[in-house]
Amino acid sequence: MNLNSRALGGLLLMACASLYGCAGQHSETALQQAGADFQKVKEDSNVLRIAPKDVIRAGESLARADRLSSYWGSGSDVVHYAYLSQRYSEIAREHTNQVLNEERAAKLELERQRLQLALRESKLLSVQQQGKWLEEQIVALATIQTDRGLVMTLGDMLFDTGEAELKNSANRVVLKIVQFLQLNPKRVVRIEGYTDSTGGKQDNLKLSRDRAQSVADVLIDLGIDDKRIQVEGYGDEFPVEANASERGRAQNRRVEIVFSDEKGQLGAAR
Amino acid sequence: MSIRPLFAALAVLALAGCAADPAPNEQIRLTEQALEQAKAVGANADDQPEMKLAEDKFNRAKGNMADQSFKNARMRAEQAELDARLAEAKVLTLKSEEQLNLLNTRIARLRKQLGDAQ
Repeated sequence: MNLNSRALGGLLLMACASLYGCAGQHSETALQQAGADFQKVKEDSNVLRIAPKDVIRAGESLARADRLSSYWGSGSDVVHYAYLSQRYSEIAREHTNQVLNEERAAKLELERQRLQLALRESKLLSVQQQGKWLEEQIVALATIQTDRGLVMTLGDMLFDTGEAELKNSANRVVLKIVQFLQLNPKRVVRIEGYTDSTGGKQDNLKLSRDRAQSVADVLIDLGIDDKRIQVEGYGDEFPVEANASERGRAQNRRVEIVFSDEKGQLGAAR
Repeated sequence: MSIRPLFAALAVLALAGCAADPAPNEQIRLTEQALEQAKAVGANADDQPEMKLAEDKFNRAKGNMADQSFKNARMRAEQAELDARLAEAKVLTLKSEEQLNLLNTRIARLRKQLGDAQ
């Protein structure tokens, strides 16, 4: 054996050793990394509670990698099982995060429902206050608290001459009446139509009744139960002013809405 | 006398048979299932790098199966299975985070309205 071949042999040996060393180091790093990851999930009580199976598998794979690392030439197997162990640890961590999120979401959902309820109550309260305000307005605007009860007058300008249909300009006041009746579900109304004294008695009676009915129809269309609404037509009876002047006649052409008290007691019809 | 070497040869063959990996058909099936499940919850190779790993490894595993390189096929399929499961888990975690954010937004809006109402 000459010097050259000896040197070559030595070089080959060194190359082999360094290759093995590299592989060994690689698998050693993988093993350490997997061990560190496993340690972290193993010590996390949430992970143990939520993903115990994944933690066990991570541990099993790690033990396998550890065992193989003592065998010669098993570097790739060590890396493989270390990889699996790390994956199981990561999966355990992800499952845990997911379930923790879901648990928090369940609590937040309860909170959301609680807040929704509170908001609904607060809106209702504000509408009720508005209802009280509306009542004051209706009392102030419309009327006299007569022996017939609370009476609201819809003036002649809400109808076209000789016509029974309510004009669009009446929408606002009608909506307010509907709102008032919805907030006071026990109250009922009587809608009374009146005309001035011009024209025939029968025509006036019919027109007064038709106008009252058209107001009732609008209320019913907007959701008021027709059982809560009575309709009367009085023709030219019960004028509020003398029919001598145009102004007086205009005042006599009207529809009156008589509200019952809160218990639904309505004064007797005229 | 002459039968002994035969026994020895048989023993060696048997050992070799034990050492050689069988075809990992069950693992291939499991991996396929895991990939499908991950896809079903919306994991894809563009958004989840783990999904890309899983698909690549699974393709290589199928190549190894064709070459009858069963050990490589098994190892790649095993890794691909867990890559896919991790991708799936990450998607589900992401979804649970989005759900949390949505709830928090709604609660903030409710609180604001309640604050305004008072």
